[in-house]
Amino acid sequence: MTAPSVLLRIRHASKTYSGIPALIDVDLDLEIGEVHALMGENGAGKSTLIKLLAGVTAADSAQFEIKGRPVSLSSPQSAFAHGLRFIHQELQVVRQLSAAENIFLGQSYPTRFGFQVRWKQLYAQAEHVLAQLGIESIDPRRTMGHFSPGDQMLINIAHAFVGDDLSRESGGALVYVMDEPTAALTGAETARLFRVIERLRGRGCAVLYVSHRMDEIFAIADRVTVMRDGRVVDTCPIREITPLELIVKMTGRDLQHVYPPRNEPLSEQVLLDVRGVQTRLVQAATFQVHAGEIVGVAGLNGSGRTELLRAVMGLDRLTAGAIWLDGKRLTPHSPPKAWREGIAFVPEERRSQGLVLSRSVADNLTLPQLGHVSAGGWRLAHQRERQISRDTGESVRLKARSPAQTVRELSGGNQQKVVFGRALVRPPRLLLLDEPTRGVDVGAKADLYTLIRDISGRGTGILLVSSDLAELIGMTDRILILRGGQLVEIVASKGLTSERLLALCYENLEYVGSKNPDP
Amino acid sequence: MSAQKILTPKPQFAWGRFLRTFGTLIGFFLIVLFFASQRPQTFMSVRNLLNITQQVSILGVVAFVMTVVMVIGDFDLSVGTMASLSGIVIGTLLQAGQPLGVVIGAALVVGMTGGLVNGIFVAYLGITPFVATLATLTIFGGLAFSISGGRTIFGQVFPDGLTDFANGGIVLATANEQVVRLPHLTIIALVVLLIVWFVLEQTVFGRRLYTIGGSMEAARLAGVRVRLLRLLAFVITGFGAALAGAMLTGQLATANPTLGDGLMLNAIAAVFLGMTMSQEGEPHVLGTLVGVLLIGVLANGFTQLGVDTYVQRILTGAIIIASVTLSSLSRRSR
Repeated sequence: MTAPSVLLRIRHASKTYSGIPALIDVDLDLEIGEVHALMGENGAGKSTLIKLLAGVTAADSAQFEIKGRPVSLSSPQSAFAHGLRFIHQELQVVRQLSAAENIFLGQSYPTRFGFQVRWKQLYAQAEHVLAQLGIESIDPRRTMGHFSPGDQMLINIAHAFVGDDLSRESGGALVYVMDEPTAALTGAETARLFRVIERLRGRGCAVLYVSHRMDEIFAIADRVTVMRDGRVVDTCPIREITPLELIVKMTGRDLQHVYPPRNEPLSEQVLLDVRGVQTRLVQAATFQVHAGEIVGVAGLNGSGRTELLRAVMGLDRLTAGAIWLDGKRLTPHSPPKAWREGIAFVPEERRSQGLVLSRSVADNLTLPQLGHVSAGGWRLAHQRERQISRDTGESVRLKARSPAQTVRELSGGNQQKVVFGRALVRPPRLLLLDEPTRGVDVGAKADLYTLIRDISGRGTGILLVSSDLAELIGMTDRILILRGGQLVEIVASKGLTSERLLALCYENLEYVGSKNPDP
Repeated sequence: MSAQKILTPKPQFAWGRFLRTFGTLIGFFLIVLFFASQRPQTFMSVRNLLNITQQVSILGVVAFVMTVVMVIGDFDLSVGTMASLSGIVIGTLLQAGQPLGVVIGAALVVGMTGGLVNGIFVAYLGITPFVATLATLTIFGGLAFSISGGRTIFGQVFPDGLTDFANGGIVLATANEQVVRLPHLTIIALVVLLIVWFVLEQTVFGRRLYTIGGSMEAARLAGVRVRLLRLLAFVITGFGAALAGAMLTGQLATANPTLGDGLMLNAIAAVFLGMTMSQEGEPHVLGTLVGVLLIGVLANGFTQLGVDTYVQRILTGAIIIASVTLSSLSRRSR
């Protein structure tokens, strides 16, 4: 029995991606006239939940009720018909079209004789939608490419309000789901969006609001639901909780993994020396990595963690500063040079950045060191490649039929082991790991942790980027804290708690930005 | 997928996979059988089969080098007009009294330069291969016209040695007063085939080209010099196109500013036919060879059956689209 004040009710929502649970039995209620914040670390399941609501992804099991009536959200069309509206953090705009066309994208335009578009009317309607949002500065006739990212986001947001007359009382049940809508907005634009949200609240709509910005949550939300590892941890009124308590709830996971401890004392020898490095997205990064040391990189989405690794790998041009490896300055720097000098890279997106899916396990393993593996550096040595593939495969406990098997056919965990194995074909001096255990099942994770510890035991320095805070604390010796592209602090991992680490990532709230979509 | 399906795998012959890989080859042999049954005396004779190899040799050279750029996921529309330009360069320099060796060398240098230009546009300036090579297609064609003044060069300009070589061959046997020769042009095409096969399948360079084709981003992060390799691939293709132009001019003792233009479409078609034969849909030069032979056999066989050349074109196009469609349908259903 649904209480009359509940607009949208979610019950027992579960979803598994190739055997890995992303949502486990999630219950959530959105009340009429409520702004409901949804919080959680990266990978907690927020995005999956939104995809179920949007009808983009099918749930393994879930019940949805709107105003007490069971509904099925099987497609984006049915979600729309039931009054659900979505504002995604990624810009979904067509740059070549005008603002008005983007606002009415996917809707039918006003026409004469059913085919001739009545542009004047379209522009007037677009102006009307924008005016309802309190936006006067945007000319709906101009093409999208002319607008700043913030304006584009506002136009994107306006798209969600088409057809819903905000001046009148809400007829249908309207639920607005906003996934980090302020990521690209300035302070003034954010304030404007908040005024719109206030009006929605006044009209009896409900807003599900996802954000990493603590200040926003406390400014606008009525209640907050915290998710962790695919489950709802708690739902409570925002007045009854403090930011610190929220962080504790977000991080307080059961210790699933035992992280293998360091066996050797830390070396004094400086391996990597990064001095004042600056790229387009990283500012003034200065730090060192010692031989055999594991240094973590922590920060929120968009804080520049990946970009820091890219700079060390020679992928992004340095606009200032320098990088030394073993006392040798890397200049000019490039990925081929990085691999030659013994820097190995395990990128974040294994399917698009790490692997050539159409090629064999052997081809993928030997790719960066092909020159070393081959006869005279130019002619393929198939026999040797197979041997190396078998040896490397064994050392990372890869499960594949043969070195000739296509990588596409492997499971996610085994694909990740191929990316890892490739970094080890020639023992690296420095290993760069970007979210190495994301989307990997528990068993494969344990293998990877053991492997990382082994590699560091042989004197290889490791830079580890991870959103899994327990993993960072458990595996690393020191952690670099990044905020808004800046290296703001370096902390020792020993004695650090997840809560303290997350609080360090959150501090200086005005710098907290978000660029990357949640996994 | 249900758990039961995983638990009880039925050992069965993978027809889909078999057809996907060998469908085009089977189709090729069926077509050969058809022509052989229709014209048993003439079609299957050694002379005619060798004749077919000569007829497809020039297309073969262009298709083999086209495979190199298509391995990366690029393609080169300018090969046809480059072949024409190469012929015009040869004709013009011969008119000017230059020795044959210098003349052919110059044509090949022109080809590599054209490829270099394509490569710079595509790899370093980021222009899509379609637009970049469409532009150079026009430019190379225009150059061929302006160098020759639009005239066809023929006759005494071409030394007998060149023409005799291009139309001759190594004598294999003499039977019934008829000489059976392995054509020189066939030998050149075979050498190009062997080199391209070796480069693509047996060298580090070739492996890297295939990985770029599989995922440009992954290749770059793994330290492959993507831009340089793309550039080199276009240079190879330009070289091959110029070589084909030289073969064509030598064979016909004629240089005409549009002589080679028709090669491009058939070469791309041959590579696509070959791609239907690989599991992952990648181009392989041996697959391209089957595509080239298929196109050559169709032309030869239809002519022997007296099929009108216009109708031939329609039928050839239909067979190509049927083959590629069947392959992509069987791929989708997996």
